[in-house]
Amino acid sequence: MRRALAGAIVRLAAVILPAPLRDWGRAMAAELGTIERPGAALAFAFGCLAGAFRQAMSSHLHRPRRLAALCAIGATGLGLAYMIAAGAPLSYLATNAAALAIGLLAVGVLTDAGRLWRIGGGAVGIGIACLILLTSLFGVSADGATRWISAGGILLQPDLFLVPVVALGFARTRDSASLLAVLIAALALALQPDRAMAGALAAGMAALALALPGRKVLVALGAALAAFAATLARADASPAMPFVDQIFYSSFGVHPLAGLAVLAGAALMLVPAIAGYVRDPDHRPAYAVFGAVWLAVILAAALGNYPTPLVGYSGSAILGYLISLLGLPPRPAARGAGRDGAAMQSEPEAQQPDLRASLAGAG
Amino acid sequence: MADTGTGWLHGYDLCRQGRVKSGTLYPLLMRLEEQGFLEAEWQAPAEPGRPARHAYRLTATGRALARANPPLRLGAAVNDPRGKPA
Repeated sequence: MRRALAGAIVRLAAVILPAPLRDWGRAMAAELGTIERPGAALAFAFGCLAGAFRQAMSSHLHRPRRLAALCAIGATGLGLAYMIAAGAPLSYLATNAAALAIGLLAVGVLTDAGRLWRIGGGAVGIGIACLILLTSLFGVSADGATRWISAGGILLQPDLFLVPVVALGFARTRDSASLLAVLIAALALALQPDRAMAGALAAGMAALALALPGRKVLVALGAALAAFAATLARADASPAMPFVDQIFYSSFGVHPLAGLAVLAGAALMLVPAIAGYVRDPDHRPAYAVFGAVWLAVILAAALGNYPTPLVGYSGSAILGYLISLLGLPPRPAARGAGRDGAAMQSEPEAQQPDLRASLAGAG
Repeated sequence: MADTGTGWLHGYDLCRQGRVKSGTLYPLLMRLEEQGFLEAEWQAPAEPGRPARHAYRLTATGRALARANPPLRLGAAVNDPRGKPA
C-alpha cells in the first residue's frame, strides 16, 4: 500500500515538473524502484513531490497565468480530497473535476482575452454584466434569491465566474464602458441578492481605489458598496449546501487533514495575487483586484452559506477562478535584468565559481 | 560528490550519503546541471527487469566549484565573520 502510494506521489511529482524538467521526474521514479523499505520510499516520494512543487512554482512565477492555473489545479485537488474524505456523492466530485477541465480549456482558448478586451473596449464587459443582470431578472430562484441558471440539468451561478471578469476588466482599462459594466453588475448583484459576490466586487473596487484612485474608480467603488449594502439589508435565507457551504468549519469535523486541505486550498488561491503583487510592481492594481475579489469570496464562504471557491455544487467558483486569471497579465512587465540574483550577475562575476550563487533558488 | 571525482552516483545514494532529503537534492541537481556543473546520464539497469537509472557526476567546472567552496567547519565559521550565516 505504502509503495503504491509512493509510486503515485512520484508520478504526480513528474507531472507537476515544468516540461523541460520532466526527465527528472523519470529519474525520481526510477530511483524509487531501488529503495527497499516502503517507509523510506514514501519519504523519498514526498520529498520529490515537495521539490517538484517548488520547481514548478519557481518556474511559473514568471508566468502569472500559469501560476494561477497551477494554484487552481492544486486548490481543486485539495477540494476533491476533502470531498472524498467527507463522503460526498461521486457526482459532486465529477462536477468539480469537470469544472476544472472546462476552465483550463477556456483559459487555453481565450489566452488572448486581454487583446479582445482592448479591441472590444468595455463592450465586452457590458455584455458580461448584462448576462449577470439577465440572470437576476430571469434566472432560477430559490429561498428568495435569483442567481442561478440551469444548464444541462446543472445549476450554474454565473456571477461567480462573471463578476471577477468585470472587476478585472475595469481594473485593466478604467474607461467609461468598463465603468458602466461595473454599475450594471452592481445593480444585478443587489437585485439577486448575492452578498458574497457584491462584497467581492466592493472589495475589488476598494483595492483598485487604493492602488489607482480616480473619479471613475471611486464611482465604481460607490456603486459596489451600495450594492453590498443593499444585499445586507435584504434577508438571505439560503441554507448551507452539504459538502459545499460552511466547510471551513465542518471539514475539521471530518478529519483534521481534511480541514487543513480546505484551508491550504483556499490559501493557494491567493498565491498568484501575492506573488504577482510582490514581483510585478507595474501590474499591482490587477493583482490587488484579483486578490481582493477572491479573498472576499473566501471570507464570505467562511462567514455565511456561500460556496467555498475550491469546491462547489456546480463548480461555478472553480470555473470563475480560472476565467478570472485571464485578467492577469500574461507575464510580468520587463524591468531590465529582473530580480533574480543569478540573472543580475554581471558576466565577470558569473565566471567566478561561487557555490552560493549557483545554488540560489534551488530550495 | 566532489570526493567521488569522476565516478557516477545515483539520487538515492546522494540522499543517504549527504543526509539530504530528495526534495532538497533534486532541485540542487537540476540547477547544477542547468549551469553546467553537473552531468547526468541514463545508465542501463544492473539487473534485467529493473528500470534504467539516472546517474550524476560533477563536470570539471563543477569540481572546480567544489574546490573553491570547501565545506564550512564550525571553528572556521566562528572565527571568520564571512562564514557566519546571515
